[in-house]
This record gives sequence, structure tokens and C-alpha cells, in this order.
Amino acid sequence: MDKYKDYSAIDFLEDSNFLRWLNEPTQEDHDFWNEYVKKHPSQKAKIKEATLLFNLFHSSENKLALPEQYELWKAIQSESQTSAKEVFIRILKYAAVLVLVFLSGAVSYYMYQNAVERNQYQLAEINPVVNGEAMVILADGSKVSLDKQMSEISYSTNGRQLIVNNDTITQKAVTMKESMNKVIVSYGKKSMVLLSDGTKVWLNAGSQLVYPAVFLKDTREVALVGEAFFDVVKNPQKPFIVKAADVSVQVLGTRFDISAYPEDKVIQTVLEEGKINLKYSGDGIFKRDYVVEMVPNQMVEFDKISREANSSTVNVSKFVSWKDGMLEFEKVNLYKALKQVERFYNIQILLEDQSIGSYKLSGKLDLKDEPEKVLNVIKLTVPIDWQRKSNGDFIVFKK
Amino acid sequence: MSIIENKSDERLLWSRFLNGDDQVLSLIYLQYSNSLFDYGCRFTVDKHLVKDCIQEVFCTLIRTRKNLSSTDNIRLYLLQSLKRRILRDLKSAGSKSMLINDQEYSFDLLLTENLDDHLRELDEEKRELLAGAMLSLTDRQKEAIYLRFNKGLEYEEISFLLNLNYQSARALIHRAIEKLRDVIHLQEKKVSQILFAILFNDSKAVL
Repeated sequence: MDKYKDYSAIDFLEDSNFLRWLNEPTQEDHDFWNEYVKKHPSQKAKIKEATLLFNLFHSSENKLALPEQYELWKAIQSESQTSAKEVFIRILKYAAVLVLVFLSGAVSYYMYQNAVERNQYQLAEINPVVNGEAMVILADGSKVSLDKQMSEISYSTNGRQLIVNNDTITQKAVTMKESMNKVIVSYGKKSMVLLSDGTKVWLNAGSQLVYPAVFLKDTREVALVGEAFFDVVKNPQKPFIVKAADVSVQVLGTRFDISAYPEDKVIQTVLEEGKINLKYSGDGIFKRDYVVEMVPNQMVEFDKISREANSSTVNVSKFVSWKDGMLEFEKVNLYKALKQVERFYNIQILLEDQSIGSYKLSGKLDLKDEPEKVLNVIKLTVPIDWQRKSNGDFIVFKK
Repeated sequence: MSIIENKSDERLLWSRFLNGDDQVLSLIYLQYSNSLFDYGCRFTVDKHLVKDCIQEVFCTLIRTRKNLSSTDNIRLYLLQSLKRRILRDLKSAGSKSMLINDQEYSFDLLLTENLDDHLRELDEEKRELLAGAMLSLTDRQKEAIYLRFNKGLEYEEISFLLNLNYQSARALIHRAIEKLRDVIHLQEKKVSQILFAILFNDSKAVL
């Protein structure tokens, strides 16, 4: 710490640790520099000057809009996959000969299916929720838009009829194959889906759920992008499986929450009651499968990059209060809390100074209020103030 | 909103991609696409060209995966290939009068917008001086500053992208900071000169 004793503003700006604090701070950076300023008040002015210079040089970013980002990704995928597919089919031809000799053709079919599923899955994972586009997509591709802030969707037991808010919609008779439906909830909206087996799913803002209109297989399988709370109806004969990016959760009947947003580093699963098995494949050449048996009040965070899972005991209500229109925090970083507010209202909140993000926030926020009111409540507990920019974005600064 | 929080995450992601794991490519894309887009938009206002170039960068990345090594710096690799492609495309699309070579291109830092956002408390005169000082920065200086303060790159990385040696890259940024700091200090010097004058006059009066 002593090396900064005689630093000028320019020296600070040449220090990589200092810059990281202003640019992309980790929790340690916040702790270190807040502590440093406290212990060395004489250097405070120099740090302030360095921060001002930094802000002058730091210009705001051009960003790809979510649909643009997705379109570009699709273009990359399709361009690179045409070549990959050709190679794959060539290999498959040779493989098929061998397979026919030694085994049955089923293996190659399985291999192929697997590869296709994986590709589709990757697309689903990155497909962001387009602004304002909340809807149900039925098996035949027809769309029913969800214009309410909080939509309710319920299926009849045979899956042929669904009620969206107050409208009844009839789907074609279900054949032997499961017909897949999809709900997309954009940022700023929420939705509750009552599946044909009676299971209730609350979808948080910016989430998608894919599920069959009626469950015909031995397992009840759904796929999730984003965050959802599940209240699963018990059926020991037909386990319920949620697939969310790199993890899958198998249950018989219970209540739990999964948060798997593509832009988050971890997939977070919190169990309220019952028992669930969380499955993920680990690191290494063999990608061994791991299973965590979770108990109530347990949270497992799966790191998408290191492929490791961390377990802790938590107060469940804080993680599921969003479904009742509340956000509950206990010593949560302001940065993280504002991220949730952003998703809920579909707004942009900018921090004038990244160090604000490390303020700790505790309390409850009522999300039935306007975002302005919510920010005013936050203002009472941490020393910040906010303004609205001409483009509608909110900017938060130190008071 | 960062997926990759530290260098070891970045290394892990990179090595997983090089070992043939396609799943992580979407993470790499999510992490870097906006950052690349922003960098690209500093060279040209043609956003389509920037997007086309990003697409080429990622497709090349997938194609040439075998030739890359795990010690490569993923972000630097992406930034460099994007810059090369954009400059190449600008050169071939540009008219003869628009001469662009590796050392000669324009770089936009949106500096004036910043002045309004951050200097609410400063007076008019100082703001004008600062704006003047910022406009007088060269395009190379702007790019170096951008890479340092927006992207948080190390001097080694900046010198690589600017095709300079370490010392020159460092000096480029140092001089730019000094220029602006001097403007900010100007006022303080004035204040102390006035104070000194008052004290001096007072002491004369006493005498």
C-alpha cells in the first residue's frame, strides 16, 4: 500500500490496479481502494484528480442492440457451420459403414441427433429477448402476444386448449409427438404459466421457456433461458427436468428457482422445498457428469467458465420474492441490485463512477411502483442521487 | 455485465475453445462483441462495415483455431484482427484522395460529449480550455488513450496494437494526460498567484 504514498494523479493513472478499479472493478479492488482512501486521507485529492482525468478520457460506448447482436451471431454460426456440417457428413458416411458392420444404425442416428440438438441449443442460449416482444409461440408457429405487464397462461390437461389472460386458444389435436410451445417474456414484463400437468412456472423479466403442450414422454422436460420459479406437481412416474444452459435439474415434485441469464457468469439454483438433483458436466477431457443432491434452503451456483459448482445455505425468500413483485436484498452490491431493477423495468441505469457499485444495499423494493420511485427508495439507504438523461437512460452518481 | 471476470477465466475460456469446445464460443462472442463493435466504430461511421468485419473476425477465428496457441491473448487477438480488417476495407473502399495506411487513419474519441457529462462543476473558461486541449490530441494519442482508459489494456498490449515500442506507447499517453492536467491546474495556479499578490500587497501596506 505504501508505494502509492507519493503518487501524483498521473502516477495513479499509470497504475494498472488503479485503472482496473475505475474500469472493471472486482470486489477486492473496491475493498482495497476504499480502505486506502480511508487510511491515507492526504492522497484523496490526488485520487479525485486522477478520477476526473479518467472520466474525461473515458468515452461512452457504441453498443449493438440486442437483436443486432443476435443477428450477427446467427450470421457467424451459419457461415461457420456450413463448412463444419460438410465435414461432419463426410465423417458420418465413413462412420456409417463401420457402424453398419459392427452395430446398428441407431448409434449414428443418435450421434447426429445429438449434434443437431446441441447446435439448436446454442442458438437458444444466445437468443436474447427482443425488446417489447413478449409472446407465446405455439407448435404450428403461430404467435399470441402478451401485452400485459403480468400475463397468465394456462393449459388444459390435454394440452389442446390454452387460456392467455382471458382469451381461450385452441391448438390442433396433439399427435404422438410432443408439440413444443414457447413463452418469451421481454424485459419489463413477467408471466405465470400453468402447464398441462398442473405445474406452475413464474417467468421473470427477460426469460424464455420451451415446453410441450402436453407431456407424452417418460419424463417431463422443459428448457429455460433466464430466471423462473417452479412449483412442480408431484408425479414419481414422470420426473420433471429443467434444462438451463449447462445444468439440468431433475425433480419429482417441489418448489425451486433457477436463474440462468446468458449474460451472467453463474447459473444459480435455489431450493425452497422438497428435493432436487442438479446435474452438470465438469471440466477436463472426459467431461464427467456430476450430480448435486440439493436440500431446502440450499443454493448452488454453477460457474459457466470454470465448470465448478459452489453450494451455500441461504434465506430462500430473498431469491424468490421477485415473483410477488418485490425485490429483497441483504447486503447486496448496489451494482447487482440495479441490474435486477434494469431487467425488471427494461431500462438502462448507468453508474457515473464504477465505485458506486460497491455500496451495500439491504431492504425491500416494491416493484409495483415506477422506476423513479424505486430509485428514490434506494437513495434513502445509500449516498447516491440520480438523473434522467435526454435519451431516457438513468444515470446514478455519488452524492 | 461481464461474463469473464478475471484473467484466469479468460485463459480457461480460450483453452477450452482451442480444444474444440464450441459451446464456449457463444460466451466469447457475448463477452467481446460489444467491445469489438465499439472499437470498430471509432475508425469509421459505417456501422455495417464494422459488423461485417466482426463477422469475418469470428469466422476466421473458428477456421484457424488449430493454428492458434493457448498463450495467445484472446482479446488482443480479436481487437487486432478487427482493426486490420477495417483499415483494409476502408482503404479498398476509399477514393484515391483518402489515403489510409497503417499509421494514418482517424480515430474518434467522442471527447466533447464527455465534457458536458463530467464537468458540471467547472466554469465556462476552463471547459473551453479543456475542450481545446482535447481536440489538439492526435488520432494516435486518442487511440492509445481509448485502449488504456476504455479498454483497460496494458502498455505492452497498446504498443502491439499501435505498432510502437513500449516506451513510445507510454510516452504517447503520458503526454496526453499531462496536457489536460495542466489545464486543470491552470486555475489553481491563478488562484495562488492572486493570493500571493494580496499577501504581498498586505505586507507592503504593513511596511
